[in-house]
Amino acid sequence: MKNRLKLLRVERDWTQGQLGEALGVSRQAVNALETEKHDPSLDLAFRIAVLFGRPVEDIFENPHA
Amino acid sequence: MLAMARNSTPAHQRYVVRTMAFMSGYVAINVAAIFGAFDDISSPVAAWALALAVSAPVIGQIWATLSLLRESDEFVRAVTAKQFILAAGMAMAIASVWGFGESYADAYHLPAWIIYPLFWACFGLTAPFVRNSR
Repeated sequence: MKNRLKLLRVERDWTQGQLGEALGVSRQAVNALETEKHDPSLDLAFRIAVLFGRPVEDIFENPHA
Repeated sequence: MLAMARNSTPAHQRYVVRTMAFMSGYVAINVAAIFGAFDDISSPVAAWALALAVSAPVIGQIWATLSLLRESDEFVRAVTAKQFILAAGMAMAIASVWGFGESYADAYHLPAWIIYPLFWACFGLTAPFVRNSR
């Protein structure tokens, strides 16, 4: 799923590991999200949205829109 | 090794420790058997107890693998589950072909426990190709 996660992370000068720690997932999971190898669960997508203070659709492109 | 440890998750680290513990027990029992520690066993009950003792670390290692799935985050869980299912399917397919080979084509008889190392061999062969959760 296309997303702006890497851009948002780099803007804050966070490493993948730091973002993973903030979200409660592994660095591998963050990398997989950024490289579109993993579509997040609804729960994780909402956690990411809350962390960055943005609506989910600002971060993840809706493939059905 | 250190780089692997740095990159691994706490769930992976627990998995490695559990696997090493169970495999140490497995090796110890088998080394004892090779050196004749159980040669005097004659009763069926004692023989089954020995079979269960040898199997216990294998069952423990299966538990460790399933615990890895339970304790990992959603990405690692999904990828590991895909790898596990693919390897299990491959191992069952090979075992079925060989089993029917024994039934109909006089193939050499293999013990049933071979399915376990076969599963991990299949896991090792297929896992590098399963890198995404979809």
